[in-house]
Amino acid sequence: MRLTELHRTTSFRLATLFLAMFGFASILLFGYLYVEITGFETERVDEWLRREHAQLIREHPDDLVARFENQNKYDPHTQRPFGLFDASGHHLAGGYPGDRPVIPAFDTPFTLRLHGLQHNPPGRCIAAHFTDGRVAIQCQNTRELDHFDEELVHALLSAAVLTLVAGLLGAALIGVGSVRRLDAVTASIKEIVAGNLSQRLPMRSKQDDLDRLVRVVNGMLDEIERLMREVKGVCDAIAHDLRTPLTRLIAGLERAQRRATTKEEYRAALDHTIVEAGGMLRTFNALLRISEIESGVRRESFEPVDLAAVAMDAVELYEPAAEDKDISLVLERSSPEPYPMHGDPSLLFEALANLVENAIKFAPPEGHVCVRLFSDASGFGVSIRDDGPGISVEERQAVLGRFYRGEASRHTPGNGLGLSLANAVAAMHGMEIRFPDVESGCEVQLAKPHESTDARSNRREAASSLTVTS
Amino acid sequence: MPNVLVIEDDAQTLDEIVEALTDHGCAVDTAQTGREGLMLAIANAYDAIVLDRMLPGGLEGLGMLASLRSAGVVTPVLILSALSAVDERVRGLRAGGDDYLTKPFEFIELTARLDALMRRRDAPPSVQEYRAGPLQLDLLKREVTCAGRPVALLPREYRLLEYLMQNQGQVVSRTMLFEAVWDYRLDERTNVIDVHISRLRKKLDPAGSMPMIHTVRGSGYLLRAPD
Repeated sequence: MRLTELHRTTSFRLATLFLAMFGFASILLFGYLYVEITGFETERVDEWLRREHAQLIREHPDDLVARFENQNKYDPHTQRPFGLFDASGHHLAGGYPGDRPVIPAFDTPFTLRLHGLQHNPPGRCIAAHFTDGRVAIQCQNTRELDHFDEELVHALLSAAVLTLVAGLLGAALIGVGSVRRLDAVTASIKEIVAGNLSQRLPMRSKQDDLDRLVRVVNGMLDEIERLMREVKGVCDAIAHDLRTPLTRLIAGLERAQRRATTKEEYRAALDHTIVEAGGMLRTFNALLRISEIESGVRRESFEPVDLAAVAMDAVELYEPAAEDKDISLVLERSSPEPYPMHGDPSLLFEALANLVENAIKFAPPEGHVCVRLFSDASGFGVSIRDDGPGISVEERQAVLGRFYRGEASRHTPGNGLGLSLANAVAAMHGMEIRFPDVESGCEVQLAKPHESTDARSNRREAASSLTVTS
Repeated sequence: MPNVLVIEDDAQTLDEIVEALTDHGCAVDTAQTGREGLMLAIANAYDAIVLDRMLPGGLEGLGMLASLRSAGVVTPVLILSALSAVDERVRGLRAGGDDYLTKPFEFIELTARLDALMRRRDAPPSVQEYRAGPLQLDLLKREVTCAGRPVALLPREYRLLEYLMQNQGQVVSRTMLFEAVWDYRLDERTNVIDVHISRLRKKLDPAGSMPMIHTVRGSGYLLRAPD
């Protein structure tokens, strides 16, 4: 953004708006002060005039001549010119310059120009009319008062101009600052749009509103980048995982084409092909199911379900398979109480079955797999522990992604989707898959955190454990 | 020969289903819209109906099923549905469907489930025991004997055998077994049942001299009295 577009920035506009409002309020205040101050000064003069006037009318006009002349002696600058005039308006006595002026009203203060004095200063006067036709006038030279008024207006105007200039400068500074910041943010966004997803919006250490927005947007970018990487990983993995069986399938067909002569040999080749193709189809189905579960449809199939009963069923299903590998599969539960929740029993069963199957797969021969139902302050759930090679801390998040095969499982059968499915099912039920730190082997938990502290969290864990199988 | 009505709008899928059912030994009628299917189903007595969940022409699968049931037709109905609509399973069964199969499916799954539906309808109301050659299962005492020799089975093994004997001579798929014996629906194929079956086989026939539970094309089982 160029600086010529400064006037369009929000902060510059806000600053000038404030300046205008402040200026308007100042003008109102100055006007009020001006009116009050000048009004007060005039009132002071008028009060003095009325006091003098009250004395004056009680005296005889003949005495006034001496009094006025005397007063004139003590007023060399003619600040308070008095004047006595005869019936025809001629000057009789006092410092008032010239003949009787035009008097708009008697016995009440009025304003006039004191013609004949230097600069023709303004004056505030009061006049008295005597019965013999003579007229007395008492004035106050208000030149200094007017001068004060002018100074006041001048000061107010200077202050206003100063405020305006400073305000405009400040607004421009604020505007330029925000233009610079926005330019930086815009440049980053353009770079992200151009494809550099690792770019982030610039952050400052200040915790202002724009920084908050930047932090939220950066968090969103992190999540988008993670998702993009995951999608890319899944695409790569799909391509890789399907290339292998497809190659095997074509190899089998070509071998049959070369060698098979009898009907039986062709049938065997066909059977082989069907098995391979079926495997690929199952991988696709599993992928679609995980997506479907992740998108959260299927809530209609939710019903009250006892997690403990599901775990027992899963353990029971895998008992013979574990026994064949000489692995001891044990179910432990601290109390016979049910673990009620709301969910899809078949999906929960499938998730737990996947976890148990993994544990059996990775436990060494004559190893141990322990399925434990737990309930503590943080929540309740099922923990599956085996004494296999375990999952390194770095791999823990990755194993939940689709198609991820850990180092230890590189050469075991499976499609790398079991934990993804378990994770999707967990998320759908407001549960989570956790990998607590264990000294050896691997522990996986399917846990439902408590939304609030309910009675279960206070339940004492009984020491008794129920062993289901050898 | 059982009569089956297939209602499916996709011509290619319809052809494949018809071929598979014909190979399986069924006489097949077809309809491509719900209205056409409804008229056929009311006019003729079918042994089973295969119904696609999504049909064109104003009357979709579940609406057609509801009309059929309100017309008093109790023919067993197997609903087919696209994979992405698993939530529909609950709705489909509530609407009066007897079984539910998500696409894509293996045809052995379709024929096995259809057989089971038709058999369930034909089954005598109360059976006290099942027999298959030397094998005898007493439903009241929950006892199993093989050639007079008592066989001790775990509860799950007993239920497995009970289901296989109830469907003897017919193929049952792994998922059907899983639904019947473990009471969980399993969309993903698992081989873990094989271990249970092989245990059961050993208990019934320790010497391996007269196999009765056969594995069919890798996806199902068949219990048949030895020749």
